[in-house]
Amino acid sequence: MRKPTFPILHVWLDELTDIVKDEGILLFIILLPLAYPLLYAMIYNTETQRELPMCVVDDCMSVRSRDFIRRVDATPEVKIAAHCTSMDEAQELMRRRDVYAILRVPAEFDDDLWRGRQTVVGLYSDLTSMLYYKVAYLGVVNVSQELNRNIKVRERQSNTTRREEQVARWPIRFDEVKLYNSAGGFCAFLIPPVLMLILQQALCLGVGMSMGRSRERFRGLVIPPTRHYKNAVAIVLGRGLVHFLVFLLMAIYMAICVTRWFGLPQLGHFWDLIGFFVPYLTACTFMAMFYSGFVYRREDCILLFVFMSIPLLFLSGVSWPGSSIPPFWQAVGTAFPSTWGANAYVRIQSMGASLGDCHSEILALWILSGIYFLLSCFMYMFEIRKAVGRTILN
Amino acid sequence: MRKALRNIWLITRRELNTFSRRPIFIVIMFVAPLGFLVFFTSLMSAGLPTKLPAALVDEDNTHVTRQLTRILGTMEETQFVLQTNSFTEARQAMQRGEIYAIFRIPKGTTEAALTQRQPVISYYTNDAYFIPASLLMKDMRKLSEMAGLAITRETMRARGFSDDQIMGTVQPIVIESHPLGNPQLNYSVVLSNLLVPGLLMLVIMLTTSYALGMEWKRGCQKKLYSMSGNNVWVAILGKLMPQTALYTILMWLIDLVFYSYLQFPCACGIPRMMLWGFLAVIASQGFGLLMFEAFPGHMRMAMSACSLLGVMQFSLAGFSFPVSAMDVPFQWLSNIFPLHHYFLIYVNQALNGYPISYVWTSVVALIAILLLPQLFYFRLRDAFLYKEYVP
Repeated sequence: MRKPTFPILHVWLDELTDIVKDEGILLFIILLPLAYPLLYAMIYNTETQRELPMCVVDDCMSVRSRDFIRRVDATPEVKIAAHCTSMDEAQELMRRRDVYAILRVPAEFDDDLWRGRQTVVGLYSDLTSMLYYKVAYLGVVNVSQELNRNIKVRERQSNTTRREEQVARWPIRFDEVKLYNSAGGFCAFLIPPVLMLILQQALCLGVGMSMGRSRERFRGLVIPPTRHYKNAVAIVLGRGLVHFLVFLLMAIYMAICVTRWFGLPQLGHFWDLIGFFVPYLTACTFMAMFYSGFVYRREDCILLFVFMSIPLLFLSGVSWPGSSIPPFWQAVGTAFPSTWGANAYVRIQSMGASLGDCHSEILALWILSGIYFLLSCFMYMFEIRKAVGRTILN
Repeated sequence: MRKALRNIWLITRRELNTFSRRPIFIVIMFVAPLGFLVFFTSLMSAGLPTKLPAALVDEDNTHVTRQLTRILGTMEETQFVLQTNSFTEARQAMQRGEIYAIFRIPKGTTEAALTQRQPVISYYTNDAYFIPASLLMKDMRKLSEMAGLAITRETMRARGFSDDQIMGTVQPIVIESHPLGNPQLNYSVVLSNLLVPGLLMLVIMLTTSYALGMEWKRGCQKKLYSMSGNNVWVAILGKLMPQTALYTILMWLIDLVFYSYLQFPCACGIPRMMLWGFLAVIASQGFGLLMFEAFPGHMRMAMSACSLLGVMQFSLAGFSFPVSAMDVPFQWLSNIFPLHHYFLIYVNQALNGYPISYVWTSVVALIAILLLPQLFYFRLRDAFLYKEYVP
């Protein structure tokens, strides 16, 4: 095949043919972004903990305490898995991890209520997972509030009309609205930012491995010693374009297919998403190209990039709230496209924001693109000089 | 025997020599884990996130609603950064990501409450950000519940009831919650204890297969094999021992920082956690070795498998999302990961202070992961003898 003479196209075609022939790079840029989102979505697919096993120590053994326990058992959050006669027995079950919470109804439960006093029910929860605590607490508190209303209206106060009873039950009503993730599920919250991280990390791995391959093939140089590789800008654009285009397809696959298959929130308009993906992937591509300058062997890229994913997820402020991140780490986070990208994507796709609502993120991504583009150009200029020097020496 | 020991020592020396010539080893094996230690402990130094930004839409704007919002403003998790009387403005701020929740008091709330017409107040949380939304929801719900009760309390006070009687009426059943082992619900305690050793274990898996694969890449696997006196285990021991030593020291350093310097709860005593840390280190090496046996001599695939599974083990350890809530195949899968078992042992030992016999299965699992590569040693031998580097 005749190769085009225009340098950008030449570099582009070179990179493309190299990648297609390299099984290792294909694994990272095709299989990883295709399969990993599915795997992750499947892990969190159940969204939340239901029917958490709990045991009860009912020291009261009255009609009223049994009613309370039955109501707790009836909540979707909690399941009464065992009735114990003492706290020792209950603790033993907890240690064996047969149950994750203990509900203790005190002996004076019924007496206190009949005498019009407050009574204290103990809830002990295991912290193997924060969700255990949340679920157990929510289930029991909901029941107690409902019972409290009943007791207040039917036993403590003498209301004459039904309307008066209603008002006494709820002097002020309140509506609790969970926006953008109405089930409060884990999958819908965690997977969208994880998708953006997978894009960035897969890009880094793919570009890094391609770089390592060049270095191994051209004895430590990142570019072949031919006349087409003279212009740093052309090399950066030509090589970057290959990865950019592949990952644009992957991004669309994630935003459309993965999102639809797993019922994740999808409020974003197609063109808004594209308008976001273009700067995001541009920034990611140039960042990957710059950092791959430190890759000297093919496999080094795995060592360098893989475990950055977990800290980057935390820096993005989606899992750990951004407002609680110390300023220093917030500043570090701004250097990575994923920090801006994860937030902008969540806003567009999960919260139905328009591109205009995310203009600060989009702007930041373009600035990052510019900075990393310049850095990659400098890196390549340095490498070109090295290559020229070596050719002269030879 | 003596000869074998000598061979191990020779290979170890050769390995140390390799480390000193490659900066990537120093960066990944030493600087990165320490970096993670500093990163996570300082990132979550707040413990539980507090003062989360929220918006207040007070359309009523009377002295009663202002008192209500002042109370909400004093609560631990909530900080009103935006006060407006237009809901649209608050919603837009939420979409711009400036706030995590909106508390709305519609017009006429005070009037309706005073004339017993059941006003409705509402609060909106942005559950696309799960942790802040849950924390804010807890605060706002408590306040809304209390707002209603406050009206009852005032009426009863006017009728001359005593405070005990009033409390027995407005809140007869009180739930006293005891999160065991971590009463302040300090996220940092458990998350750091999962993430920092977890990342170290990921590093261990990756460097194990990397260091082994390097032999094939440089074409020295036959030389290594002959140095070991044609004994696979001598070669592996010599190769991995320097890493074992380094990672054990790092793991112990992490333990010391956590339990001694930062005073994280450690009910079982530091030496015992150090023992489990050491077990986790060698089990991770076993996992890396196992992956290398799965793709003998094929460094890239072994490393890819390690990174794929190694990153996944953070999800399957089950802190943020419990393993018991996952689909059954993932509950099985979680058992192959050293981090999952290390985490269970940590919760049992350090957080709860239970006897180790309750998690003996996890101890056995870690030892099994460590010993499993023994079964497939013939694959390593074949790799040494016949396999070449695959790019």
